[in-house]
Formats: sequence, structure tokens, C-alpha cells
Amino acid sequence: MPDIRPFCMPKWGIEMTEGTLADWKVAEGDTFAKGQLLCLIETSKITNEVEAEYDAVLARVLVPAGAEAQPVGTLLAVTAQAGTSAEEIDAFIAVFRPANAPTNPNAATREEPAPAPAPRPIQTNRAISPEALKLAEASGLDIEPIEGSGRHGRITLQDVQQALNAPARPVLVGTLALAEEGKAFASPLARRIAAQHGIDLSGVKGTGPRGRISKADVLALVATPAPMQGAAFAPVPNPPAIVPFDRVRKVVAQRLTQAKQEIPHFYLRSSARLDELLALRKTANLVLGARASINDYLVRAAALALARHPDVNVQVHGATIHRFAHADVAIAVASPNGLVTPVVRQADRQSVTQIAQATAALIDKAKAGRLSLGDMEGGTFSISNLGMFGVEEFTAIINPPQAAILAVGAAARAVCERPDGSAGFETRLALTLSVDHRAIDGAAAAQFLATLKGLIEAPEALFA
Amino acid sequence: MSNMMYRAAVLSTIMEEMERDPNVVVLGEDVVGGMGTEGGPEAIGGIWSTSTGLYDRFGATRVIDTPISESAIVGAAAGLALSGKRPIAELMFADFIGVSLDQIWNQIAKFRYMFGGKTRCPAVIRMAYGAGYNAAAQHSQSVHQILTGMPGLKVVMPTTPADVKGLLRTAIRDDDPVIFLEHKALYATTGEVPDDRDFMIPFGHARLSRAGGDVTIISSGLLLGMCEAVADKLKGEGIGCDVIDLRTTSPLDEETILDSVEVTGRVVVVDEAPPRCGLGADLCALVAEKAFSSLKAPPLQVTPPHTPIPFARELESAYLPSVDKIEAAVRRVLAWR
Repeated sequence: MPDIRPFCMPKWGIEMTEGTLADWKVAEGDTFAKGQLLCLIETSKITNEVEAEYDAVLARVLVPAGAEAQPVGTLLAVTAQAGTSAEEIDAFIAVFRPANAPTNPNAATREEPAPAPAPRPIQTNRAISPEALKLAEASGLDIEPIEGSGRHGRITLQDVQQALNAPARPVLVGTLALAEEGKAFASPLARRIAAQHGIDLSGVKGTGPRGRISKADVLALVATPAPMQGAAFAPVPNPPAIVPFDRVRKVVAQRLTQAKQEIPHFYLRSSARLDELLALRKTANLVLGARASINDYLVRAAALALARHPDVNVQVHGATIHRFAHADVAIAVASPNGLVTPVVRQADRQSVTQIAQATAALIDKAKAGRLSLGDMEGGTFSISNLGMFGVEEFTAIINPPQAAILAVGAAARAVCERPDGSAGFETRLALTLSVDHRAIDGAAAAQFLATLKGLIEAPEALFA
Repeated sequence: MSNMMYRAAVLSTIMEEMERDPNVVVLGEDVVGGMGTEGGPEAIGGIWSTSTGLYDRFGATRVIDTPISESAIVGAAAGLALSGKRPIAELMFADFIGVSLDQIWNQIAKFRYMFGGKTRCPAVIRMAYGAGYNAAAQHSQSVHQILTGMPGLKVVMPTTPADVKGLLRTAIRDDDPVIFLEHKALYATTGEVPDDRDFMIPFGHARLSRAGGDVTIISSGLLLGMCEAVADKLKGEGIGCDVIDLRTTSPLDEETILDSVEVTGRVVVVDEAPPRCGLGADLCALVAEKAFSSLKAPPLQVTPPHTPIPFARELESAYLPSVDKIEAAVRRVLAWR
């Protein structure tokens, strides 16, 4: 067999589907040496020089320089040792099939007309199926050496395909030393597993029919994660449990996707000292008999800040901004049905105690899945608090038509500088404000955040 | 062409061949039927009406009513065949091959082989098979899978009256023993039959009754009509089915099957016999072995379950393959991924 080799369009990187042969640096029929510059190939990104990987003769050029782009894997030329006949080259080209078909399906379809040689009619007395004959003719295969697997040696399509394929090199497992059947009443699979794990089955009590040792019995013995040395990790089937979106999730998915895609979010990060609010809350709850949470105070603080900055207390509807005098603050609540955002109405006009009652009622309804559309409609601002989960800080997606949302992280102890210059500790709350830049500018949002921060750090004003 | 019933095609072929060749004789239980009754010998004429009038025409030396002994019927047919006659033996129900299995399996099927090719045994053994008549487990079976597995026998399962004509004539004129299986539920079906008295269909040549490139459905006998119905229904959805009527299960037209599967890549085999070691399993094995590379889905069988045939009408219809079951199987191979 003469040493004839294909030279195909190379694949440089995952995205490369085709390349253009810019120039041949070796002429057809010329000898080249390993390392010599063979040709230039252009991709959509670069032009690369291709060096020869071995010594040979450029026996046949199939794609001339300057031809249009060819899919990856296209046979560009054939190389051979000196003295190889033209007929041998022809025969090689006729049966050549690219080893690695292109990964791009479009490229594959485009490739079809290119390298397929004209079918060569086969004259034969051999019995052969029509599909097999078609393939043999298309690939120029000599069918005479084929031993047909069909009746009376008839050649099937599979026979032709097998003849065209490269010889297989199966990866063999080899033999295993099984326990003798007589020594252990066990299923063949159980004995195989026992052999793989080096388990002695004598004395094992089987739970299968008539006390037969089953696969499960053996696996129970190897259940402790002490795999044999060198035993390869065997993944178990891991099929997904497929859960279709329910109604709530569909709405959440649709609205948040729309929000993230359409709203030009920008984010302002800040933090507020919480010590004063924590101290005040303890006292206030005692005095007022209320059970207001930190979040209720934050709702109140945000609502007051919004009332002072009406250009943040807005909704966006198409090309109009709806500005509100009072703040309807939506709070993100994790319910059994998914994320819901019930609204605390006119929170700037409600006391902390009233807000606490309102939110408690809304959260109860949310957890019972009984929130009405009216409970969730509207809202001029949202607060999402993940502090109770220990989240330090995060950014939230705006809930349209609202134009801003506050993401509240966990209260954390942090080192600070005291007025006298010494170091001390204080509790800080991370605040991240997501803002819709279509309706609110950075300065307005920053002023709002500063007011909010001031209200949290001097919480007496929350009772004003 | 004449339009005639399946059973009439059986009778007229026997009639024509008895007229053509004086060596052709008929024997079986009640093939004459009325011997000793008030109505005279021809009062019954065979319970399937496949021998009516033969006795009047050819007399007692060529139309032989036998005792109720399948061993005797097949044994006598074997002897007649060895001595130069062309017997057509009838077993009233295919279920009774068990009684005559030594004659069929060890004798008739093996004479030619055991005597080095120096003898021939041109016997035809006709038998009525098949379920659907509420006739219970001992009178409803399809036995082709047992007989197809016996080397030395040719096994024929005609579907249409024309195929009865062409295949039965080939069977009678064949020099080897032929099992000729007639489905009870097909006896009253009608179809166009060539009038040519030499019309013959060679064994081992399947019939492509519907052509399409997407799924190959293989069957023979009664169920072929269901396969055609499924193919016709799916045609409306743009799904093309090759429906192959095997005609003979031995010899088997392997070429027609493989040629079809090499195009479609999907196979459904429909058979009235239970699934284990049967025709369905055999054909699935054939395509898995010789057309593995063409398969786009596992080959499927549509057969009854591995149980005796139930008596109750509802159970029997649940037991048998149906248009719905075949369609479901075809859709399954189409949906395979």
C-alpha cells in the first residue's frame, strides 16, 4: 500500500466551520520537507501558515488557491511518496471520507456536493441489495472481496458499510474471576459485582428467590464507600425530574425576563449603620406593644424617603413616567408557590405599627397561597430582603412597571472608626438599589439612597 | 380474473389440479363428510367448504374420508407421497399437529435428507389456523412458528384469494412437503383471482402490499389487513409504510425485508403467535443481525402475550394484535430517539 495521505481543511478552534485556501506555497508535484510552509489558510479571524508535518510529494491539489471557502474536513490535497501512480491517487480520492465530519450541521449539508465523486457503475454477478449497490457505486468500493452476510452470500448495505469503515479497535474489558457457581448460590450479576469488589460470597445470606444472592445483596456489602484500589468511578443514572412551570412561575419568568431585557438597570451600593435602629426597635416594641421587624422599619424608612424624592417614586409605562405622591411599597416574599410581591399601601402614611400589622397579614396570606390580585397590583417601589439567610449583599431585578428596588442584605458586625479615632464595632446593613435609568437618573437615585440611609441611622424620624 | 372467496380459491385450485394430474388425491376428516348419512356422501362437504363436490367428481379412490386420527392422515399422506402420489391432507384444526408431529417432523420433513436426496415427498398438509372465533385455547392457535422452525418443511401462509390460488398450486406441484396454513377468518374474504390454470406464485417471494419509506411492517395472513389499514391511516399524516406480506415463512424472503429496512430503518413485525421464539422474534433478529447499521429504532414485535388463547370474547380480543396496537408500535418506532 503506497503511503498516500489526505490533507484536509484544518479545524482551529470550536467556532471554525470553514476556511479559505489563500495560497499554495508548494506546487503540485513538488516535494516538500517536514516543517516547510505548505499553504496559507484564511479563517474569518486570522490567516494561518500551515507547515508540513512530514516529508512527501504534493501529489494532487484538489482545492486551488483563491477558491471559495471550504468546510472543515474538506479534502484539500493528497500527498504521497515519490513514484505513486495517478491511478492510485484517483483510487484514494474516490474512497476518501473525512475522518472528523464537521460539527456544524450547515457545513455538513454544504459539504455534500463538494467531495462526492461521480458514482461509478458496478458490473457484477454478485447478489447485492439496491441500497448496498448505491453506496458501493457512490464510494467507488470494490465489492468483490466482500463476503455477503445475506442469504446465499448476498451483499447487504451493512456489508458495504463495514467494508468502508476503518477496522474497529474495541476497548476490551477482559475476563473476571467469578466465584464458582457451586460455592455461592448467586445471580451471575451478583457474582460479577462480587468479583469486581473482591467480596467472598460464601456465608452471604441471599434475599432473592430461594435464598439466591442478588445484586442488591452484594451491593449492600460494598455500600460503604471503600472502592477497590483503582476502581473507576461509575456514575449512576441521573435523569432530571421534569417540572413544568406552574402559573405563578410562568408569570415570574415572563416578567423578570422582560424586566432584565428591557430595563437599563444601574446599581447603587451603600450601607447603613443599624445599631440605632436596633436599639430603638427594642424600646419601641416594648412601649408600643408592637412586633415590628427590621424590615417593617425599612419599609417605613423607604416610604418616607420616597415621599421626599417623588422622582424615584415612579412607574414606567411606555414612554411616560407615572409619578406618585404616596409610596406603595411591595415586599418580596418567598411563598410555597414561588416569589410573590404583596404591596403595603401608602406606607409613608402608615405608622410602623400599622405597617407591621399589614405586612404580617400579607405574609400570612402569601404563605397560605391566598393573596389576591389586589394585594399584589401596583406598587411604586420594592424591597427584597435576604438578610435572614445570611446573604451579605445582592442585586435585585426591578419589578415592572416599578422603576427601583432595594436589595437588603444581612446585618453584619463591622470594624469602624469612632469619633475619637479609636476602633470599634458597629452593625451595618448592606443596601443595593437597582434603578431604571429610563426614568431615574443617577443623582436622583443617590439622593434618595442618602435620605434612606439617614433615616435608618437616625430612626427617630420614622416616628415623625 | 374472477372474484371469489378465499375458501373457493382453495377448492377450485384443488379441483383444477386434480383434473390436471390424476396423482393428486385428497384425504382428511370429513372432507367428504356425509358418508352414511341420509343426505348422501356430499351432504356436508368438509366443515370449511374447501372440499365440496370433490367426491362427486373424483370418487372414493381420490377423495378419502379418514378416521379421526391426525397421525393416520399425515402418515397416509407420507406413504402416498413416497409412492408417487401427490396427496393433499387436511387437518381440520392446525392445533392438532401435535398428534401427528412424528409424521410431520421426523418423517415427512426428513425423508429427502435421510435418503441422500434419492426420494421425494410431495405432500401438501393443509390446515385451518387462527383465533378470533371464540374457540378457546385448543382450536385457535397459530402454529407456523413451530413448523417454520423445522428444516425440511416449506410453510405457506396466504393472505388473499389470489395468493391462495398461486401458492396452493405451487404447493401441489412442489416435490417437497408443504404446510399450507389457511386462516379461518379469511375463508369468507373475497378478491380477484387470475383464471389462468397455470397461475403459480413461487415460494420465498414476499408481496409488497403498501410502499413507503419510513417504517417496514411485516406480517402475513389475517393481520396483514390490519397492517394495511394502519399504513393507509398514517399515509394521511405523511408517514410512508412498507407493508410486506411474507406469503411463505419458509423459505423466507430475506431480501425483500432487508431491502426495505435498509431504506426505512424501522421495523414492526406483526404476528398472531405468541412472542417467544416466534416469527416476530425471528425477523427482529434477522434485521438486528443483517441491517443493524440501518436501524433507527429497535425492531418491535406486535404479538399476543405469552399465554394460551383465552376463551372469553373480551379477553380474546384484548389478547390479539389489533389496528390500534399496530399503530401504537409504528408510532413508537417513529418516535424513537
